[in-house]
Amino acid sequence: MIFSNQSRLIPPNHSGATRREFLRAMAAAGAAALMAGEPKKLFADSSGVKIEHPIAKADSCILLWMAGGMAAPDTFDPKRYQPFEVGLPVEKVMSTFPAIDTAVDNIKICQGLEQIASVMDRGTLIRSHVLPDLGHILHSRHQYHWHTGYVPPQTVAAPHIGAWMAKVLGPLNPVIPPFINIGQRLEGNGESEELKAFTTGGFFGSEYGPFNLPVAEDAMLAVRPPKGMNAGRFENRYRMFERMVKDSPQTRYASDYQQQSMLRSIDSAHRLLSSKEKAAFDLSLEKKEAAEKYGASDFGRGCLLARRLVESGARYVEVTTEYIPFVHWDTHENGHATAEQMKRDIDRPVAQLILDLEDRGMLDRTLVILASEFSRDMMIEGVPGSTAKDQSRAKTDVLKEPIHYGLHRHFTGSSSVLMFGGGTKRGFLYGETAVERPCLVTKNPISLEDMHATIMHLMGISPKTAFDVERRPFYVTKDGKGQPVMDVIA
Amino acid sequence: MGIGQKGMWADSHYRWSPLGSAILCCGVAIAPLMSADRVLGTEFDFAHNVVPILRKNCVECHGGRRHEGDFSLNTRESLLEGGAVSPGHAADSRLIDLVSSDDKDERMPKDQPPLGADEIKTLREWVDVGAPWDAGFTFAASDYDPPLRPRRPELPAAIEGRDNSVDRILDAYLKEHKVARPTPLGDAAFLRRVYLDIVGLLPTPEQLHAFLSSQDSNKREQVVDSLLGNNQAYAEHWLSFWNDLLRNDYQGTGYIDGGRTQISAWLYKSLLDNKPYDEFARELIAPSPESAGFIRGIKWRGNVNASQKQEVQFAQNVSQVFLGLNMKCASCHDSFIDRWKLSETYGLAAIYADGPLEINRCDKPTGKMAQAAWLFPELGQIDSATPKEQRLKRLAELMTDHENGRFTRTIVNRIWHRLMGRGIVHPVDAMQTPPWSADLLDYLAVHLSDDGYDLKKTIRLIVLSNAYQSESLALGSQPGGDGFVFAGPIAKRMTAEEFTDALWQLTSTGPSKPHKSVADFLTADEKQGQKSYRASLVACDPLMRSLGRPNREQVVSDRPAMLTTLEALDLSNSALLAKTLSRGTPTVLKDFAGGDGASLIDGLYAAALSRVPTESERQVALEIVGTPATEQGVEDLLWVIMMLPEYQIIR
Repeated sequence: MIFSNQSRLIPPNHSGATRREFLRAMAAAGAAALMAGEPKKLFADSSGVKIEHPIAKADSCILLWMAGGMAAPDTFDPKRYQPFEVGLPVEKVMSTFPAIDTAVDNIKICQGLEQIASVMDRGTLIRSHVLPDLGHILHSRHQYHWHTGYVPPQTVAAPHIGAWMAKVLGPLNPVIPPFINIGQRLEGNGESEELKAFTTGGFFGSEYGPFNLPVAEDAMLAVRPPKGMNAGRFENRYRMFERMVKDSPQTRYASDYQQQSMLRSIDSAHRLLSSKEKAAFDLSLEKKEAAEKYGASDFGRGCLLARRLVESGARYVEVTTEYIPFVHWDTHENGHATAEQMKRDIDRPVAQLILDLEDRGMLDRTLVILASEFSRDMMIEGVPGSTAKDQSRAKTDVLKEPIHYGLHRHFTGSSSVLMFGGGTKRGFLYGETAVERPCLVTKNPISLEDMHATIMHLMGISPKTAFDVERRPFYVTKDGKGQPVMDVIA
Repeated sequence: MGIGQKGMWADSHYRWSPLGSAILCCGVAIAPLMSADRVLGTEFDFAHNVVPILRKNCVECHGGRRHEGDFSLNTRESLLEGGAVSPGHAADSRLIDLVSSDDKDERMPKDQPPLGADEIKTLREWVDVGAPWDAGFTFAASDYDPPLRPRRPELPAAIEGRDNSVDRILDAYLKEHKVARPTPLGDAAFLRRVYLDIVGLLPTPEQLHAFLSSQDSNKREQVVDSLLGNNQAYAEHWLSFWNDLLRNDYQGTGYIDGGRTQISAWLYKSLLDNKPYDEFARELIAPSPESAGFIRGIKWRGNVNASQKQEVQFAQNVSQVFLGLNMKCASCHDSFIDRWKLSETYGLAAIYADGPLEINRCDKPTGKMAQAAWLFPELGQIDSATPKEQRLKRLAELMTDHENGRFTRTIVNRIWHRLMGRGIVHPVDAMQTPPWSADLLDYLAVHLSDDGYDLKKTIRLIVLSNAYQSESLALGSQPGGDGFVFAGPIAKRMTAEEFTDALWQLTSTGPSKPHKSVADFLTADEKQGQKSYRASLVACDPLMRSLGRPNREQVVSDRPAMLTTLEALDLSNSALLAKTLSRGTPTVLKDFAGGDGASLIDGLYAAALSRVPTESERQVALEIVGTPATEQGVEDLLWVIMMLPEYQIIR
């Protein structure tokens, strides 16, 4: 544990540091945070009622992010199946895949998700998640909303839900970053500035921000010496640095809080880089047969990495199918074929992740969520009556070629969310949507506030948790109003 | 393991109460009111939870000028003096007894409906956790409201010939506060600091040697003038400060569909020309197309919360940037914590509105229309019947009116903060809080407006003072808010851009091209002979991002002062830094080696730390670079030096 020993870089007059002195030194770091504008946690909500955290049902959270708008009718909420037929009026198309049975009698999902179907008895399927259409569909804006609970722009930098967990709960294992983000490249693709705007610790600062691993396969690069530098040289360089610090003629500043805080961070970083836990980042250490079960897709490799990291004590891990405009789940045309491929990418790894966590006895304390910023529909952009502009790239009245076949419009009226473990019910179906278009929620709608409240509740965080930012309360669920959906909790 | 487990990632700051929470409290902008002398052991939100109850039920008779029954709860001191509250013990507190009494004659408030059960519960919990009170908070009729008009403090007589006006004020201040004068700063440290502060670059070894060997008694003044006269280097350094403040960048949200425009070309030119600050502000408030990006704000496609409409963004940004006021609370409702009202925010917003603007309260329409109005009618008003362009022009005039002391105080305070490590009012966007020296703040403000709003002259005045030219303080902990007493400069962290520029400077690895939009506006003359470009002229890279160059989605007036673990990790193993170091090593060997390892080491120390190494440092450095010096060794030494607190903390 990183902080069970005193920092090697505490100056000489602290060398025999007692616990008390150590704490005092740490307090300096707290003061440092203050200077950086560290927000203050509030004790009570706006009506003066004390904020009580629920007892946590989960220690870790894995969010499997279906970036780009996963069509519920082609995945977890099958409607009437309509195969491709030239000349078919498009309004006839509800689902482009037939339904299949799952391990749970009353739950059917779409073809192509057979492996997930086989573990459905471990999960809760929610079909009634409702998201606002925001008047215009811009994926990254909806993703910003889903990941922070707030619609941009905001007057302050809203933290990602991973940052909330990192901040409120702290790390589970002190050497594993509490918020790890797998699979999203933040440079080089469309809307990357918008993605960066929410892939952040926000006002909590970078200490609680994401540890980004854009390519799962390369995760090890993030925790080993830079390319071309062997471990011996890397270690030696650090030893030399320590000697230089001790030799510094600036003795006057040896116990200065700014200096101490800086040295402590450098020391902490070095400890991760020399820890045994860093092996968790190395996918090549996974047994071949075990790794193969996750498939070869980037997302599959990300799921495997997430499992290894959670096993080592990560608090929040997100694995995304990666948002790239018009790619992956963002099907503006040729939606059927794309969805087929996407399901091939996610089916095995999601199921395997659940089985592996179960095998290791970790599923009960690990909350796994599969979600997307909204769903899709053949006909409706946003919700009925929305001002959102139709963005389909395969506009046609009748199906002429396969490119027309698929759910090409962004539908916000209902989405499916899958939850496993972490205190959720097993083999449970929640919520319902209309059989015919518009497939709006007909039973038990769950807003984003309530969805976040449920997730936070399971993690032991009150949905009213708030921090004082610029002397205003900022809540983990919008205005502290989110209510956990107790029905999905075991 | 669960809640409360501490580790490197969550650093340490919360939850080892009582100490931790005492230190950790504070919003970003208006913090000192809350942070100083906060009662230990509590995280109670006094302002939002307790103040409304006391205000509603008690303050009318026991606050402001009234103290019925000799009891006033204006301040925590008066509350405790009255003996009504025993902190930590609600059960023994008369205030709790009185408000919860069943006896109608005894119960408070007198002849009024009793407090609700929730209210009593809150008060009880508040007393039980020690009756915390935000430092500086008072119910007394605003005991501090910053003066609007400029004030000309009389300068105290110079002591021992220290006749810089800043010193005349501060020498008297230090004497009055019985604080010893800070130790004068040596030449080398002065040079390094003043280079970084004025142009954001390290002095080269040649510049250092020339300065150190000069016998001219005026050499500090000369170097300051030459740095201020280096218009390009000055502009390229201060560009980052202004980009943060005006939330301008080459990329970011909003550009995707024209919901945001850059002001880069205008800003660069304005800094290059040292445009007088009043004119600068006028061009931002009543802009040409080139400078319109600031007031336009950031527009995302689709529906937006009422408090983030472009008009309201305008009100928030204009008041924060030019007046150091936070109108964000008052964008949804009348502020709980200061004097600003919803109608005032909307008055400002309506100046910018193209059509009628309905006031929204907490994102709900009120049916009332906003009237264009300015915050300080004492200086004049805006005619809401005039067209938008004229309203903006009028706002620009009012903002930059000679009689608007708040305008000048806000900017000189920001400059002081950049140079001295902490504002005279701090944080710098809490300009409604008292300065630690009103004379100093007011003097700097009138000095600016008297002398043509020339910010370089403000910088010059400050850096030529003995106060600036003193060693930075060694502090055991973060200086507090209310009780703050100036005792000398506070060290600053190298910014992401300074770190990057220094890295490129030491290794000759700067980019040969600026960002495309910069390339578009630089003139051929300006590009002539440029071998490489500064960090402020290129897009943010992952290392700069990690080291704190902000997203600039919001106004940023103060960057995080501390290096975090994730940042340290990037410095330890990021490919970008490692590659730059190895790319630059051959040049370093060539530039500094001149034969042996020792001269290379001395050269690097001069270039990076502006000093010679001690004998023992030289020994360690020699071990690192090897004999003869290897490229790997030089790479490692460069890294070691750049990781030293002495390198990254500007003293």
